[in-house]
Amino acid sequence: MSDQMTRRGALATAVRGAAAVALGGTAFHLVRQAGGQIVWNVDATRCVNSRVGETGVEVCGLCTTECVVVQSAVRAVNEFSKCGRCYICPAYFNVTSAANEKGLPSEKLCPRDAIERKPIGEVDPDDPANNFYEYVIDEAKCDGCGKCVMACKEPLGLGSIQLRVRHNLCVDCNHCAIATACPKDAIQQAPVERAFDHVPPGANP
Amino acid sequence: MQYTQIQLLAGKGAGDHEFTAALRGLAVDRLDFVYAAGDREVKVFDNAGRLRRRWSTSQPGLSVAVCGDGRVFVGQAGQVEIFDHAGRLTDTWRDQERLGLVTAIDFFKDHVFLADARNRCIRRYDGGGKFLNDIGNDNRMKGLLIPNGVVDFGVDAQGILHAANPGKHRVERYTPEGKLLGDFGRFDGRDPAGFSGCCNPTNVAVTDGARIWVTEKAGPRAKVYDSGGTLLAVIAAGVFDPNCKNMSIAVGWRGRVYVADTVKLAIFVFEPRAGEAGAA
Amino acid sequence: MSIEPRTRALLSALAGLILLFAAHAAGQAIPYERPVQVAPQEESIGGGYVTPPVQKPKPRAYWLEVLDVGLLAAAMGVAVWLVLYRRSRNGVLALTVACLGYFGFYREGCICPIGSIQNVAVALTDPRYSIPMVVTAVFFLPLLVALFFGRAFCGGVCPLGAIQELVVLKPVRVPRRLDRALGLLKYAYLGLAVWFAVQPIAQRQFLICRFDPFVGFFRMTGFAHMLYIGAALLAVGMFVGRPYCRYLCPYGGLLEWVTRLASRGVTVTPGKELDCGLCQEACPYGAIEKMRAVRPKCLYCARCFSACPHEGPLAKKKGA
Repeated sequence: MSDQMTRRGALATAVRGAAAVALGGTAFHLVRQAGGQIVWNVDATRCVNSRVGETGVEVCGLCTTECVVVQSAVRAVNEFSKCGRCYICPAYFNVTSAANEKGLPSEKLCPRDAIERKPIGEVDPDDPANNFYEYVIDEAKCDGCGKCVMACKEPLGLGSIQLRVRHNLCVDCNHCAIATACPKDAIQQAPVERAFDHVPPGANP
Repeated sequence: MQYTQIQLLAGKGAGDHEFTAALRGLAVDRLDFVYAAGDREVKVFDNAGRLRRRWSTSQPGLSVAVCGDGRVFVGQAGQVEIFDHAGRLTDTWRDQERLGLVTAIDFFKDHVFLADARNRCIRRYDGGGKFLNDIGNDNRMKGLLIPNGVVDFGVDAQGILHAANPGKHRVERYTPEGKLLGDFGRFDGRDPAGFSGCCNPTNVAVTDGARIWVTEKAGPRAKVYDSGGTLLAVIAAGVFDPNCKNMSIAVGWRGRVYVADTVKLAIFVFEPRAGEAGAA
Repeated sequence: MSIEPRTRALLSALAGLILLFAAHAAGQAIPYERPVQVAPQEESIGGGYVTPPVQKPKPRAYWLEVLDVGLLAAAMGVAVWLVLYRRSRNGVLALTVACLGYFGFYREGCICPIGSIQNVAVALTDPRYSIPMVVTAVFFLPLLVALFFGRAFCGGVCPLGAIQELVVLKPVRVPRRLDRALGLLKYAYLGLAVWFAVQPIAQRQFLICRFDPFVGFFRMTGFAHMLYIGAALLAVGMFVGRPYCRYLCPYGGLLEWVTRLASRGVTVTPGKELDCGLCQEACPYGAIEKMRAVRPKCLYCARCFSACPHEGPLAKKKGA
């Protein structure tokens, strides 16, 4: 009996050892092809709201509704160096609304009033049309609905506002729920070194 | 006034009469021959729409204008090339500083006005190529507000320049020495008499009778105003590719309107309806 | 939501594939050439204006992810020590609450070994996918521990298990045949999860993440169907101990296989068995048969020791 036990025990140890080696080996194999941290990014050349060449399409709000985080990790970001600093910004104002007595459109576009408009540079106090204006998006209010992005897109605007995944808010899901829903496959994974490359290499910025 | 489209010239493709990459400048001469600058070529179409001549330019052409004596000026980046009526290069004016991007050219008597989109103003030169003065940058904004990157203007029979200032949604009037006389136009997203969007009108053409012809983007359309700023007609609104921007416009002396569709790379030709007072 | 989630998944995958082709075709769209940098430069704006920088918020620091792996290993070590050496139910309870708090509500249940099955499956089949080392570690560590000590991971370290562990009220015994039959469900789920994970990217689905019943509670928000399933499982869990762990968890299926080879594991008062059956009654998970712990099924809850007259609080009272 005890012989059988030790033989069985030895067998069990051997099998356990083999299993450990198998597990370890697989782990090693995976680590060899391992990458570092991966993050999710919005490809602005594919995103419906910012891809150039289509007009008259509906604003896509999937980034707001699909994200598993309560207030989506995707927010609108204004690339200031490309912004036209216009007096009448189509992303800030609803340019199809009627003009008020000051000559400005009467309605704002953002449903959450997340864009702040202020004059910059040498400010002309007499004629507001003589100034450049900075448009800053308050990210705490923005939920990535994409209306301003679509309005800023060429030809109406200069395309400086884009939807971007904010990596401090994104929980880095295995498989992004927005990526699953995105009709243009605009949500892509990238290594963390390229977390802030918003244009895929080789594409027209 | 009503306009109908009578022709569609050029187009996108590899044919002799077609363009492949861009169509940026339009001009028309007294015979209603259309000069179109785009790619690295100038193509000339007659009034029946047939391609008559074409010649190459050394750089992509941004604008084109035909002088009274038949010479053709083609504006480019940093220079202006001058060709004779047959397309032979006769002269080149180079000035990296003052001719950053020549996006519009017009004439008055023997002076030549060249737009500089890089510095957001218009420069006046004499007939021999000597710089005389600037127009349009003696203001708080140090130039015209052109988020679209193009300065366009026209000169009327009195020598007054009518320049588009799209950032301010208006067309401004200047003397040849650069003094601002006035302006017309306002923003309006609904009224067709106003200029919509963020920066319109993008392009301007002026005929001798001081009618102002403009094109807009984002809801691309072509319109005509009288010299006092009253809208006379919307020439065309729904026919252009919606992605068009900076559509060149030129008007023949018989009232034909030529508009360049920058996406389809085609030239739309409109004529006022019979019985309408379409004369320029 | 009138369409079933899975049908929606398959339909959207198909639509995605069609649109991918259409998008590629339409993407040969108008090349926009701007002749200059048309936006106004700082000199044009004047007044000492400087273009403000665009914020670039960084993702969670990598060393924190590594720390999480370390904490996972440490928590499993503590579980092994508490259950195999200290044999303390109270200790395990404390660990359960602590892990629920950290891995569950603070880290919101991500990344977890259960979901990592999918990542490993993709990594083994798709050469272009490079799996982060942290995910590899998170997948293999509990398995390695199970190889030697049994399902220490399930013993209060796994937040999904922890939340179910805390709602067990009056567990009923599930008849053995039913228990076996239901147990097969988790292998079916494992197979499905792996199948969907190894699909090409357009059709790839991470089912385990999509149908994770408890992550909605950890995030305090979620899609309706997930919250309903989670609530239902918790309600059932009050009477049938840890139903997700026993019948649905794909990782539990892997752990069961590996635990069969374990050298040590939970033992019930070795050398002092009374054959009274109190341990068997105390075990809510049906892991004690014939007065011996069935290691592949044992979820490391240590209730058996608590109930034993020789070991538990009863014994301590009597001073045995």
